[in-house]
This record gives sequence, C-alpha cells and structure tokens, in this order.
Amino acid sequence: MEQKKYWKGLEELHNTDAHQEIVKNEFSEELPFESEGLLNARTPRRDFLKYLGFTTAAATIAASCETPIKKAIPYVNKPEEITPGVANYYASSYTIDGEYLPLLVKTREGRPIKIEGNTSSAITQGATTAKAQGAVLSLYDTARLRFPTIAGNETTWAELDKQVTAALSGAPVVVLSSTLLSPTTKKVIGEFLAKYPGSRHVVYDAVSYSGILGANEASYGKRVIPSYHFENAKTVVSLGADFLGTWLNPAEYAKQFAATRKINAKNPEMSKHFVFESTMSLTGANADERYTHKPSEAGAVALALLAAVGGSVTAPTLDPKVAEGVKKAAASLKANAGKALVVSGSNDVNVQIIVNAINNAIGANGSTIDLANPSNYRQGNDAEMAKLVADMNAGAIGSLIVYGTNPAYDYVDAAKFTEGLKKVKTTISFNDRVDETTELCKFAAPDHHFLESWNDAEGRTGYFSFVQPTISPLFKTRAAQDSFLTWTGNTTPWVDYLKGAWVAKLGGAEAWDKALQDGIVEPATAPAMGGASFSGDVAGAAAKINSAKKGGKLELVLYEKVAIGNGRLANNPWLQEMPDPITRATWDNYACISNTLAKTFATQLGDDYEINTEKKVLKIKAKGKEVVLPLLIVPGIHPDVVAIAVGYGRSEKTGKAAGGIGKNAYIFSSFNGTTVDYFAPEVTVEATGDKYPVALTQTHNSYEGRPIIKETTLEEFKHNPHEVNEDRKELDKFGKDFRKDATLYGNYSYPGIKWGMSIDLNTCFGCGACTIACQAENNVSVVGKEEVAKAHEMHWIRIDRYFSGDENNPEVVFQPMLCQHCDNAPCENVCPVGATNHSSEGINQMAYNRCIGTRYCANNCPYKVRRLNWRDWNGADSFENNLYDVADMNDNLTRMVLNPDVVVRSRGVMEKCSFCVQKLQDAKLTAKKAGRPMKDGEAKTACQMACAADAIVFGNVNDKESAIYKIRNEEQTERMYYVLEETHTLPSINYLAKIRNKDAAPKAEKESAHKEEAHHA
Amino acid sequence: MHLKYESTLREPLVDGVKDYHQVTEDIISPIEAKPGKLWYVGFFISLALLGFGAFSVFWQIYFGVGVWNLNKTIGWGWDITNFVWWVGIGHAGTLISAILLLFRQGWRTGVNRAAEAMTIFAVMCAGQFPIIHMGRVWMAFFILPYPNTRGPVWVNFNSPLLWDVFAISTYFTVSLLFWYSGLLPDFATIRDRAKTKLRKLLYGVASFGWTGSTKHWQRHESLSLVLAGLSTPLVLSVHTIVSFDFATSVIPGWHTTIFPPYFVAGAIFSGFAMVNTLLIITRKILNLEEYITVGHMEAMNKVIVLTGSVVGCAYLTELFMAWYGANPYEFDTFFKYRAAGPLGWSYWIMMTCNVISPQVFWFRKMRRSVAVTFFMSIIVNIGMWFERFVIICTSLYRDYLPSSWSYYRPSWPEVGFYMGTFGLFFTCYFLFAKYFPVIAVAEIKSILKTSGENFKEKMEVYEEQPDEKFAHDVAHAH
Repeated sequence: MEQKKYWKGLEELHNTDAHQEIVKNEFSEELPFESEGLLNARTPRRDFLKYLGFTTAAATIAASCETPIKKAIPYVNKPEEITPGVANYYASSYTIDGEYLPLLVKTREGRPIKIEGNTSSAITQGATTAKAQGAVLSLYDTARLRFPTIAGNETTWAELDKQVTAALSGAPVVVLSSTLLSPTTKKVIGEFLAKYPGSRHVVYDAVSYSGILGANEASYGKRVIPSYHFENAKTVVSLGADFLGTWLNPAEYAKQFAATRKINAKNPEMSKHFVFESTMSLTGANADERYTHKPSEAGAVALALLAAVGGSVTAPTLDPKVAEGVKKAAASLKANAGKALVVSGSNDVNVQIIVNAINNAIGANGSTIDLANPSNYRQGNDAEMAKLVADMNAGAIGSLIVYGTNPAYDYVDAAKFTEGLKKVKTTISFNDRVDETTELCKFAAPDHHFLESWNDAEGRTGYFSFVQPTISPLFKTRAAQDSFLTWTGNTTPWVDYLKGAWVAKLGGAEAWDKALQDGIVEPATAPAMGGASFSGDVAGAAAKINSAKKGGKLELVLYEKVAIGNGRLANNPWLQEMPDPITRATWDNYACISNTLAKTFATQLGDDYEINTEKKVLKIKAKGKEVVLPLLIVPGIHPDVVAIAVGYGRSEKTGKAAGGIGKNAYIFSSFNGTTVDYFAPEVTVEATGDKYPVALTQTHNSYEGRPIIKETTLEEFKHNPHEVNEDRKELDKFGKDFRKDATLYGNYSYPGIKWGMSIDLNTCFGCGACTIACQAENNVSVVGKEEVAKAHEMHWIRIDRYFSGDENNPEVVFQPMLCQHCDNAPCENVCPVGATNHSSEGINQMAYNRCIGTRYCANNCPYKVRRLNWRDWNGADSFENNLYDVADMNDNLTRMVLNPDVVVRSRGVMEKCSFCVQKLQDAKLTAKKAGRPMKDGEAKTACQMACAADAIVFGNVNDKESAIYKIRNEEQTERMYYVLEETHTLPSINYLAKIRNKDAAPKAEKESAHKEEAHHA
Repeated sequence: MHLKYESTLREPLVDGVKDYHQVTEDIISPIEAKPGKLWYVGFFISLALLGFGAFSVFWQIYFGVGVWNLNKTIGWGWDITNFVWWVGIGHAGTLISAILLLFRQGWRTGVNRAAEAMTIFAVMCAGQFPIIHMGRVWMAFFILPYPNTRGPVWVNFNSPLLWDVFAISTYFTVSLLFWYSGLLPDFATIRDRAKTKLRKLLYGVASFGWTGSTKHWQRHESLSLVLAGLSTPLVLSVHTIVSFDFATSVIPGWHTTIFPPYFVAGAIFSGFAMVNTLLIITRKILNLEEYITVGHMEAMNKVIVLTGSVVGCAYLTELFMAWYGANPYEFDTFFKYRAAGPLGWSYWIMMTCNVISPQVFWFRKMRRSVAVTFFMSIIVNIGMWFERFVIICTSLYRDYLPSSWSYYRPSWPEVGFYMGTFGLFFTCYFLFAKYFPVIAVAEIKSILKTSGENFKEKMEVYEEQPDEKFAHDVAHAH
C-alpha cells in the first residue's frame, strides 16, 4: 500500500519555522482559566460554567439553611390507648344551659377535634346541633380564664380556697346557676349549702321557660317540662315555639318531627304543621301553614285556638287571616285528636295554661306529651331570680356563687343585678372567662370546659348520660364540683365522688365502666307515657290574657339565633360565622323588619338592597331604652313587628370573636311579676340616617321558578306522584339513558365503589349543624365579617334558603348545597394544571399542591360551591406577616382543634367539599383490614352524621343493599331529581322534592276536577 | 419600471415631494435629537403609572387575591376583562402587517411599524393579567408542560386556559420577530448615520450586521412573507382561543358558539381604534403628518365601521339566540341581568360605544376628521372594554343558582393594576417613539415609486402623451 502523506496546509508542506513552533505547543492559545480576571478572559465559557456551578451550589446551600425547623416530639412513653393516627372516641354530653345531647367526642393524639352525636341515646338518637358541633372549638378558646384570680390578679387554688373559705363563713350563701342536668352536681351543691344555714340554690336561665314550668305547676301540680313526642303527632301547632331551632332541646324535636315528614309515593302520608308566630323562625320556615300576629296577641291566638277546639272560653277578635288559620288548625287538631300536639314559645304562665288546656282537649296528654317522664331541660324560676336580685340589693345576701350563668349581661334588669352584686360581700364566679358577671366578682374560680370534666346528666327522668374528660385540663382550672367539695370541707376528689355515687347506684365498678363506655344509662324498655289530669284555671288565665295591655302600632320581639342562642357560646368564630338560617347573616344582630315596614324608611327588597351590604340604621326605643341597629328585611315577619336577636353585644373581655359585635337586646326583656317577657308591646323606630354593613352569605331570596327546587303539595303528590318531576321527561328525548345518550363522549361505568348522596328537602329544616360539622371535620377557615361581606366565606356546605309567594308570609325552602361531585364536572376540564380531577369512585378531587388559583373552575361551577382561599387564613403561606385572622383561629391553642387527617389549605388555592374523603378511606381500610367488603353505613360524611333530621343519606350507589341505592331506585323514584341535570353535569348528589302538606294548589284541584268531569262524561 | 401602476387620481400615500434622503431625515432625525418637553412629561407620567401598578400588584401578591373584590360567584372581573381587552388591541398590529401585506395594501406602510409596536406592548400588558390573577403566582410555571419528576404531572390539555398559554406566547413570539425583522434595515440606516460611538455600537448590534446587500434584501423579503404567512392564521386564532375561555364553559352568556368570529371582529375593531389613538398623537408630536395621512385614518375608520357593525350583529344574534334557544337560564342572563338588572348600565355603555356611535363613519367627512377619529378611537376602546366586562361579569354575577348571586365593584389594587399596564404600555411606547423609527423607512421608500408626488410628476409625462405614442413606446420598449 502506498504511503501517502497528506498535508493540511502549505505551512505543513513547507514545514516553516512558524509551523514548527505551533507543533511544539499542543495548545496554541492560552488556557482561559490561566488568564487573569474575568473581563480579560478570552474564553469566558469555562468561567461562566464555574460561576454558574458555584452560584447554584451556594444558592442551594443558602436556601436549605433557611428551612425552618419544626419540632415534632415523639412519645417517650407511648400511652397505651393512643396510637398516632388513630382516633379515640369518648362518650360525653352537651348539657350547656340545659340542652341535652349525648355525644361521642373524637380525639386524635389526645386532642378532642370533633363532636358527634351518641346514637345509642333513645332521646336524641345521635342528633346534634350547630352549637354542640361548635362546642369543641370553645374548648380551645383563647379568651378562657387560665387560672384562678382574686380581684383580677392571678392566684393559686390554695390561696383562693383559703380566702374563700374565710369569706364564706357565717353569712347565707346563694348558688346562682343555669339549669343543671347533673343530679350528682346538685347533690354536691346541696351538701355545700347545707354547711351554710339559710343558703339556697337559685336556678336562672338566660332565656327563661318559667312560663311552661309555672303553667304545668298550676295545671298538673308538677313544676316540670314534659317530654314532647312530636313523632306521634299527625298535627303539630306551634304558637311561636321554635322547636326546630332554639326551643328547649331542638335536636331531639327535629329528630322526632323529621320522622313524621319522611314520605314516599308508596306511603304518601306526613304530619301537618301549623305555625303562628311574629317573626320568621326556623320552625315557621318549615311550616305547612303559617300565620303571623303581633307578639302581644300570642295569648289571644291561644285563646282562639282553645275556643275553636271546644274550650269554654270566648275567642277574642283576631285578624281575619289568623282567625281563619286558627279555624283550620283547630279542625286539624280535632281530626287528629290523640295524635296532635300544641306547643307555645310564650313565657307567660297564663298563655301556657291555655296551651295546656288545648293539649288536654285534643288528647295530647299521654300521647304526644309525657308528663310521667318529664324532661329537665329548663329549671329556672324567674320569680326566685327576681327575689334574689331584690335580696342582693337589700344587702341580705352574704355570698353569691355564679355558676355557668351571666346575669350582668342577660338579666332583665342587668343594672339592678350589678348594683346588687356590689352589695354582696363575697362574690365568686365559676365562669370560664371574664364575662360581664365575672368581671364584677371578687373571686374567679374557673370551671373546666365540659370536654375536660367529669359529670353526669339526667335529661329526662330516668335517662342518664355522662361527661368524661377527653383531654387533661388545658389550664389551671378546677371543676366547679371540686370547688364546692373543697369549700364544704370534703376532701374526696369530684371524680371519686361521682364514681362512688354511680358505682353505688349501678351496683359495681364494671357497670360504671360500661356506662361510661356507652355514655348513657337508660331504662331497658321505655317507661309508659303518662298524662296528668288537667286542673288549670282556664277562666282566670283567659281573663288575665284579655286584660293584658294591648300593643301599640309597632311591637318588638326578641328571639334566639340558631347558632348564637342566648349568647353563652358567642365567642365561637364558627358559630359567629354560621349564616343565620333565615337571614343568612353572619357576625351581627340587626333589626329584622318586613319589606312593608322597610318602605317607610325608604328602602326595600330589590337590586339596590341586594347589591349593597350597607343597610340603613334604625334607632329602636322601647321601655325607655334604645339600641341602634341596622335593619334587615326578613320576608315573613309580621309587618308591625321588629325582631332582634339576643346573645350579641358582649363585652370586649368575652373574647375577640364576640366582643363588641352587635348590640345587647336583653335590655328589651321585662319582668311581668311572675315571668320574663321577651317582647315589648310598644316600640318606636326611627332611621338615624346612618348605614352599616351587614355580611350576608345569600342576598337573593327567590329561586326564580327555576327547577333547581322542586316542590308540590301533599294532595298533588298523592294525586300524581310523578307531577313534581314532570320536567325530567324532557331528558328522555336524548335516549333511554340520559347519562350515556346525551353525550358524544364515552361513559365511565365506575365498576367499584361509586359514592352518592341523597338530600331530602322535606326533612332538611335548615338548622346549619351540617355546616359547622363540616367546618370542624375539614378545617374550613373562618374569614370574619368583612370578608364574608365580600362573599369570601369558605363553607363547604351551605344551606340555600329561598322564599316564594307572598312577601309578608312566604313559603320557605332550604337546600343544602355542596360540591355535587359531577361525573361530567365542568370544573375539571377547565383547570389548566389538572389540579381538580375525578376519582375512580366518582369523587371530584382537589390536589391543593397543584392548584395555582386561576378560579376558572369556580367560574365554571354551575353550583358555585368552590371556595378560593382569598387570603392567608391560617398561616399556611410562605409570606410573612400577611395572616388574615380576625378571631384568633391561628393561635397555637386554637389550632389544636384542627383535624390532622385534613390538610390546611394555603392562600391562593381552591377548595371545596371532598365528600369527607378521609372518612371514606378510613372506612374502606377498616373493612379491608377486617377482610370483608365495606358495609353500607360504615362510610359517613360529617354533614350526614350531624343532621338531626337524617335528611342526608350517603353511600355506595353500586351496592344494591345500600340506603342510597334504595332511595334512588326503589323508594323515591318519583321525588328524586338532580339539580341542573339538564346541563349533563351528572351530579353525584340527588335531591328529593319538597312536599308541603297544605291546601292543594289550584293546579291539582283543576286537574282532579277535570278528571272527575271526564269520568262523569 | 415598477410593475404597479397607480392612478394619479388616487390619494397619495405620502404627501409632499419627498426624495429618499428627505424620508430618512424626516423619520430618523427625531431619534438623533433630544426628545422634547412633551416627551418627558408623557414618559414620566407613564413611569409613575407603572410604579403605581407595580405597587398594586405587589399588594395583591403579598396579601392575596382577596384584596381584589372578586368573590365566590365572580371569579374573574377587571383582571380578565383587561386581559382580553389588551389582547384584542394587540390584534391590529399583526393584521396590518401580515394580512394587509399579503393583500398588497400599500397604505399599511405608513402605520405598520407603530401598529406592530403597539401589538407587542399590548400583548405584554395582556400577559400580566392571567399570570398575576393567579392565587399562587409563584407557581405559575405549572401551566407549562415541562418535564418533571412528579410523576410526571402534566398540564391539562383540555383546558382553554392552557390553549391561551400557547396562543398568546406564539402570537407574541411571531409578532416580535416580524416587527424586529422589519426594523433591521432601519436600524442599519441609523447606524450608518450615527455620529456618536455609543449610538453606532448599539444600533450596530441591533441591526445584526445589515449591509443592504441584495442578498440581505432578498432574504429579508422572504422572511417577511414567511412571517406574514405564519401570522395571518394567528390573527384569527389568538382571539378565537381567548374566546374559548368562555365559549367552552357551561355558564349562560359564555356558552355560545358565536364567540370566535365575534371576538376576532371585536379585537380588530378595538385594535384599529387604538392604532388611531396612538398615530394621531404620534404624527402630531413627531410632525409626521405627511407620512401618516388623513387617508390612512380614513382607511382605518372604514375597518372600524365594518368591524363595529360585525360586533353589533353578533350582539343581536346573541339576543336572538338567547330567546330562540329556549334555555331559561340563558334567556334570563341576557334579558334580565345583562340588558337590565344591576349591571345593565354596562351593557348599554357597550352598545352605545361599539355599535351606535361608530356608525358616524359612514360619512366621509367624519372619517376624514382628525378630531372625530380621535374621539371615536377612545369611545370604541371604552366600549370594547365594557364588552369584555359585560361578557365576563354579567354572565357570572347572576348564573344558575340565585342563592349565589352577587355583585362586583373593583377594589383599588384592581384599578391600580389596570393603570399600571397603561403605564407599561406607554413607557414602552414612549421609548419606542424616541429610539425606534416609528415609520418603516425602507418600506416607505419602496412605495414612493408608486405613490406620492414624485411618482405623479413622473407619471404626468406619460399621462399627457397621446395613447398611440404610449402604445408605440410600450410595444417597442427594449
């Protein structure tokens, strides 16, 4: 092979000197990193890479140094009963102010985080209220007293005991408490009082039921509240008793009443519900027939009803409409004699005697009213309280122990009470905070929160429930019973005292343990109901009613809000932010007036009223007192009535959430010599010219006839059960199966579990317990009034309230609205980052970490259930000092209420109902561990569990044994519909049409008439 | 001889007798001189607005979108209204430079440079809104389909918002390239005239070594045509895709198939109006009345009256369909809560500004009036802003479930953000007017051959010739 030499250039061929020089040096140019200085570098690429590498490494190190260290301390000695990540449940009870709700408290790693109803209780059957659901947050209230104080200064219990024991000696002592359901506590108080001769125990209820107690004493010789049995009533007449919202023990009554409102086409029967009231209450909103009257006419209405059911009284003249209503109600009562019930919210003994007479006449005693096994829900005595205040002012009381009550705020004549308190030598308060009364007391001996306490409760005679600690006391507080025992000189700790009493009663420690485990002790078989012979002085009561002062042009009535009640739990941000079921207002009280009355102040329902949060301010004067409050137009309130909620206007020291919000309306209550009246027959109202913003979560009242709500009358439903869903026939045009045939796209068949929910509009009374339960379960943020006014509230489940018909006496419907988990969800396909998507079990899921907050999904949600975290509500944000927290919800203490199973959402991400996916996973895993399929009822959502009326049914629709499957396919095919199903969103939540048991609408009459004509022809 | 012959009766595209040097002098010399007082005043006002906008945005990002008055019902308000408005304005530039180039419309040369600059700046402004409106701006990169180790987590290609990302970024890129490639010969002209070192350096870098060789010109022309071809579908697609943000949803008032053509017409409508606004100011301040003539404005006013009538038709069609479609929700949205109801006033502002008032341009006198043109250009853009507001807010504020109905008023950071984009737009425009040739010098020179006084003078020789001689000369031309 020829060896050719190729040359690369002439210089190589000629092998010049210059070329030889080049060959000698391998690198013809200087290496760049040997050059000096960056700017002089001839080849800066390498330098660039060097600097890039260095800065990246430096930035990484710098960034990692900044990572905040969060302390997580593991158990050194793990408590036997606590497994991290696994919830423990303890039976307990909610007994605040005499309401009786046996509970199960869910604790995680030793922290109570959620309250659920105890389903073994025969009385409440697991029902809860919004207040009970919210009570767990009150445990972590930052405004609670954290130690005992003397004259406002911190002290030790030993010092306090020393001083108190010295101060108590000799003089008569009065224990002033709210209604106590605990027999053992009462025994302790009794022993304590026995040590101080001349002492007594006065029971005082902020919102008094003295009228019923007094009337029953007069009528039956027993100063008791009977047990009501709404479940046995075919006709219920409520004379201003808000038994579904605030009256006595609403959860119990809602449970009972709901049983009579469940209806399907096979058994189209339901109770009939009349309401006569002055303002629009939750119960009135659920009435079949509702009539309004002035509060001063409450007695007259009762008399007229008694006359109409055959009582020997003359009916006073009433407004023709009301008179007509009385006639109808009486007819229905008589027709259902023995299966009827009349309840009254009046606190007037005479009115209640008349009501007793009516109940006696219609055979309610022993059938719907059980006097043999009375309830203990309220025990307050207005006359005794009045006497106590008089005695205090006379200087006749040596020591006063205030226990769970706050008369300096809520008493009829708080000023007089306050004056009297100054004359009492020793004043002691067991209250949990520096409220209006505690502020005036020398000694503050704060009681535990009930979730830290031992106690028992006897809601109904013979029906017991227990309270046991779910957490060690958070603060240096002491059980009130321990204080009593100490001051009595009894060294037995309260827990031993209680246990001793119950072990003796139940006959053994084992039985006591079982009782605690069950949470209740109830008679094995329900004791026979019993009436009592009525011996009330009807004529006398009637005479007194007739001689009562007639009202003026305008009258005022006080009412309790479902969430805030008498104001005891006012410093609870969840409850403050819960929209009132009727007005949908949060964080305030206001003067409710009718549209008719509003017009006299140059404002009325309409676009202007809707779009402006600022409402006109009224000055309301009655009984020589006045308050200034914004007006709020409430359709359905009597045109001549102003209604104001009590429970607001608390002092600043009560807490950040309650302090300074609203005005105290208790000043308008008055003592009539026997009982307290919660209305003022004469009131003057004038506009001040100011405006004040009211934060409403819903501003439009009508559903505009849209088929999102379906309702019909009972008669029409019996006549043609399919009529209510007539419009669904339109869907048939798309083919046999609307789901499959009305789309061009494929259909996923959900072979495994497919979650579904059914909501019965007939039994949703709108109480809002579900909203608070959801808030507790899912760590839903509190946003405060200003943000609610901007429509930034976060509730995952809201209750839409619509009015229809006559603006002065409208029909009301409540519709719980939450994420519908659409199988063809409009939100899912518009998210640019796929942060919201569908699970194989039909859940519309949110991946919070992926969400960038474009809000497109919320815009495209036809149900408007998606909620953006508009601000940093809970500190889950990388920006400092931008936390928006109006109610101390981010205090380390308050954050203990957070459910560790649910992530706290950061600012800027979208959230919404998840169907409590954490609970569903838990149920599935429990079944899996047990090696069996999940059973119906094991997976439950928080809203479903909270609902006293069982309006919400949830489950696996693929399970043919499940309740939800049966509702959809067997029991309620006529009433079932989906909201906005014509948009082919394929929701996973169905609703059941509302049936009203009222006179048939003209349509049905016409139809049936037509049919008959055809028949005759 | 140039192939195109234009009648001497036609209005010239450039007024006055201009030779090439004169054109260069007229357009380039303001760049070389110190800016006037008015320029400084305008520039600093723009900077101040930009500063306030930046503060408003900082406020919103720091404290959260909650400082805006959007709510659970109305998730988009001024933010997306402004986005669509600015994108719409951005349409005129590309339409003028691309479609009119393909249609060989000579008059475009006077206005295309400024119009394209306006497009770039408007799209820059528009792009701010969909980014800043996010709840978590710092996670905005999630909308890009980039490879990642989280699965990988991928973007949702079903979402019109994602299409927006592609549509807007493509549009911006192509428009920028188109604009910049047109600037190359002019930058070279400035470079060659430069008397200071810095100017020479900067314009030298900016002109990418343009020498004016035939090869450069040939490539330049080809590139222009290619980019024009690319941009033409973009003019239609960008606003079509923006309209999909609404059209693909289920909300009555959004869910309509008419949106794509309606949005594109509206975009051209508002874009041309904005071009008029800017050019009337520019020609006045930079003394360019001979290059940006009344004839130009008239041409654009014709487009305005056409597109205004197209949107008018669309509005009426929407109303008709709302009735004819027999969808009760849609009917209510249009007739009860859009044309009436608490936000009804915005609908009627839109109708007046967009449909009724542009009809004055049927009259030649009005089309050729600088004052009327300027006034109408503002009115049209107010109307088009309200059109977007009406579409977004009046559909959302009262949709399916009356329980959620709400109302919307902007808060100061929302207004501030909008003002800030004006600041950005005008800051950019002022810098452009100072440092860039506002009229395409090279292109103007090219039309001098077929239009203007010089052309006419040259042609008059032929015009005066008897037909026979002209025919003879043509037949025997070598």
